[in-house]
Amino acid sequence: MQKTIAKERKPLGPRIKKYWQFYLLFIPVLAFVIVFHYMPMYGIVYGFTEYKVGQSPIWVGLDQFKKLFGIVAADATPIQKQLAALKAQPFWTAFGNTIVFSVIKLLLNTGFAVLISIFLNEMISTKFKKITQTIIYLPHFMSWVVTSSVFTLLLAVGQSGLVNNTLKSLGLINESVNYLAQPGTWKIWYYIINVWRETGWQTIIFMATLTGIDPGLYEAASMDGAGRVKKIQYVTLPALGNTIITVLILNLAKIMNLFESVFVLQNDAVRNATNVLQTLVYYEAFNSGAVPDLGYSVAIGLFRSMVGLLLMLVCNIASKKVRGRGIM
Amino acid sequence: MAKKNNVPQYVTPSGKVVTGPSKLNKPKSPYEVFHFINGLVFIIVCLIILIPIWKILVDSLDLTTGSGMRLFPEKFGFDGYVSIFTDKSLLLPLGISFLTTLCGTFLGLTLSTIGAYVLIQWEMPGRTLLGNLLMFTMIFSGGTIPTYIILNNLHLVNTLWVVILMPAINVYNLVLMRNFFEGIPASLFESASLDGCTPWQTFYKIALPLSKAALASIGLMFAVAYWNDYTNYRLYASDRNLYNLQMKLRDMISSSDQPSAVGSATENTIKNAVIITAILPFMILYPFLQKYFVKGINIGAVKE
Repeated sequence: MQKTIAKERKPLGPRIKKYWQFYLLFIPVLAFVIVFHYMPMYGIVYGFTEYKVGQSPIWVGLDQFKKLFGIVAADATPIQKQLAALKAQPFWTAFGNTIVFSVIKLLLNTGFAVLISIFLNEMISTKFKKITQTIIYLPHFMSWVVTSSVFTLLLAVGQSGLVNNTLKSLGLINESVNYLAQPGTWKIWYYIINVWRETGWQTIIFMATLTGIDPGLYEAASMDGAGRVKKIQYVTLPALGNTIITVLILNLAKIMNLFESVFVLQNDAVRNATNVLQTLVYYEAFNSGAVPDLGYSVAIGLFRSMVGLLLMLVCNIASKKVRGRGIM
Repeated sequence: MAKKNNVPQYVTPSGKVVTGPSKLNKPKSPYEVFHFINGLVFIIVCLIILIPIWKILVDSLDLTTGSGMRLFPEKFGFDGYVSIFTDKSLLLPLGISFLTTLCGTFLGLTLSTIGAYVLIQWEMPGRTLLGNLLMFTMIFSGGTIPTYIILNNLHLVNTLWVVILMPAINVYNLVLMRNFFEGIPASLFESASLDGCTPWQTFYKIALPLSKAALASIGLMFAVAYWNDYTNYRLYASDRNLYNLQMKLRDMISSSDQPSAVGSATENTIKNAVIITAILPFMILYPFLQKYFVKGINIGAVKE
């Protein structure tokens, strides 16, 4: 009430004057945001140029995007069409991988996190529960480089490879397998490593929801004769429902950001099959062998940003519908 | 939807009538089979998490070349760790990691708290505009290559400045900080300014001392991000002389860069020792500061 009165009384000029020190305080923050976030946005224009390193950029309009999607003029010869499709192949693979990796990873992580939370919630000994939580949060604080290093050593073919040696001594395989050098096994291990690192951390939010459940609901359920399974089915799961949807929406909005986890696990043998958009940008710009065309990389990045923005907006609407408030 | 509606039914009196008295107040027995299996499952889960880390730790302390799975090192020795401190190409990255983490965390906290403090001034003209200006960067970015080109024009590429300055502005952390400040009663700020405090004095005499827990949480988030930073180095500061521990480790593992064996430490021992060194600072802090580590995500979950 008082706020509105104050607003009505004071005109804009004096109010700005009153807050001049705050504007001054905000200048460093603003400077950082402008230099590291807004100025790079201007760099998007390079996506409409051909920009060979060491030369000045040449305006080419939408040519980079045509190359990206493999679009050719209608009167192009079949060979030209094939060539364009071949050139666009890495982009489409990377785009597909970005979505498939993120979505499967998200579903696996969330699924396991929900399972673990439910059973952790059933545990009686609070001490054991606390220790378990401490341990399962642990991998989250290891960087992706450390995580990938740990698993690269564990999956090694030589003497130190724990996984190969264990499987061999169990008689499950005869020869050591280089898991990270074949796209098929690489992807499986990519998901395993992600679950290992992130599932525990994801339980935090579900555990917070579960501790918020009114114990009266469980008591009432017991009085109604509900066993453990029924209680989980009718009390725990419905209570988690909204949180699960929230987690899915929040993470879906960010799926285009996939980079480091893929990048640090890649090697030359699987690179082309496992690229995501962000890694493709990196290899095109920094590691393509020939003189890189930065314009092409910028175009891929711009496409990624636009899809990311679109996902954000869609998820924001979904979030408003489901839980009554947006994600932004 | 139908299942959801079942939940409140249990508290209605009609529900209570249905159940027989025999099932009332069934005591929770800790010796139930379920709890035994549940405990066992979680012991296995914990082992799955710990075995890889334990294996690395054992190998980092083992001086034999052959290394299958053992619970303890065969030939125990700290030579792997000693070589980190004697080999300059390993010591420098470690120093750079510490330097950037300390500077970056301090800078990051400064920017987040100042920004958050300005954004809670409800009557300040342009507050919403400034807030939106920050929020927009969370949903749209220029991308890595435009950033590289711009930073290159500013002569920031391949300097330590870029890896210290760039992650310091973190809008997500700033928003968390703002949410925390919003919880401080406005009357405290008002009375401070009535007593003649300047905004700056109110900031460091009222706002900061009242938010120690949030400062610890967000400071830890910054510290972890700086210590673990790999992407910014790889993209904008990949000069060999600027490597932090993560960059160095990645190079060692992808085997383009082998450490020179020192004393009786083999390559493998050194690799494992570097991995342990890269996680050690937070593994030591973590058990004591777990609540601050975990708090960050909860501030974000409750209010966003």
